[in-house]
Amino acid sequence: MKKKLYLILIFIFLIIIMINISAFAHKVNIFAYVEEGKIYTESYFSDGKKCIESKIEVFDNQGNKLLEGLTDKEGAFSFEIPPGDGDLKLVLTASMGHRAEYIIQADELGNIKGLIEEKIEEPVSAVSPEVSSFDLKEIQSLIEDALDEKLKPIMREMREIKKSQEDRISPTEIIGGIGYIVGIFGIVAYFLSRKK
Amino acid sequence: MHISEGILSAPVLLAGAALTATAVGYSLKKMEHKEVPKVAILSSVFFVASLIHVPLGPTSVHLILNGIIGVLLGWSAFPAILVALALQGVLFQFGGITTLGVNTFNMAFPAIICFYLFNRGVKGENNFIALMMAFVCGFLAVLLSGTMVAVALVFTGEPFMQVAKLVLIAHLPVMILEGVLTVFCIGFLRKVRPEILDI
Repeated sequence: MKKKLYLILIFIFLIIIMINISAFAHKVNIFAYVEEGKIYTESYFSDGKKCIESKIEVFDNQGNKLLEGLTDKEGAFSFEIPPGDGDLKLVLTASMGHRAEYIIQADELGNIKGLIEEKIEEPVSAVSPEVSSFDLKEIQSLIEDALDEKLKPIMREMREIKKSQEDRISPTEIIGGIGYIVGIFGIVAYFLSRKK
Repeated sequence: MHISEGILSAPVLLAGAALTATAVGYSLKKMEHKEVPKVAILSSVFFVASLIHVPLGPTSVHLILNGIIGVLLGWSAFPAILVALALQGVLFQFGGITTLGVNTFNMAFPAIICFYLFNRGVKGENNFIALMMAFVCGFLAVLLSGTMVAVALVFTGEPFMQVAKLVLIAHLPVMILEGVLTVFCIGFLRKVRPEILDI
């Protein structure tokens, strides 16, 4: 009877853990994306709580600090894309020794700028001489605006997917971890038993 | 409570690693054959406990359970916590590999203090006193761990009072919760499996 009670308690405990797995973790995440010439970042603990007033530092690919700032109440922080090319590294330092990094690839930053420059060189040999480079620029920016507008929901969706992939702790990992522990202490037990 | 990589300075990391290595070596030497399953089980408990999040306080906190682990394991708490933390680092990206030594020490050292302070107490004849001891044990272990995290961060230049206040306020609900949990565990073990407590 006592044994049964014991087993039931363990079982209940396991179920409680399993139900809550997806939401429970303990680290900070920083997430960044580029939109209309600005970089937006979101910082949150992996249970979804926002990091308030946490420091964010931005480094270039040589490791020089470009700027720093604090997150607001929503865990957000945004800044203009700093000049220069190369990857940017964002470092989040939250309270109590939590830290996370996010790298924005150079092509993600530069695609808008790059596109315009490429297209401007063409018009000289273009079909109609009346279309000045100024017009092309305008068309270009119009197209870009429209594209941005259309792509926004898709980009948002992709960000969500990327985020959820980063955060999730799967039951496989948990059970695997427990398996490792059993294995490691099995090895310890083996060596201890040989000593005797 | 897991300090991430890239925050602490090298001397702190090295000191933590050295202290942990010494303590693990000592406890492995001391560990008895029949103890090993118990160590493995409590290591698993520690591994899973950090997934149980307590939705209170300004930051994200979770169960640690180093009080109960300490009181049940004594010196073996060191290898148990080391293994669990290493796996948390690899599988969940909590903490990190370079900070493994410091993090292990921060959590296992209070466990051992609790062992020496309360091991006798929770085995005592008087049920009420034993359970009170269990509460203080769970409470104190988290308090000490929080203080040690604050101390580790101070060596990297953060002002102590500020960090300490933050850590302590954030962990106050956890301290109380762990105290209560420790009472339940000890109460349960005293009734059902007194041999685990060596009564």
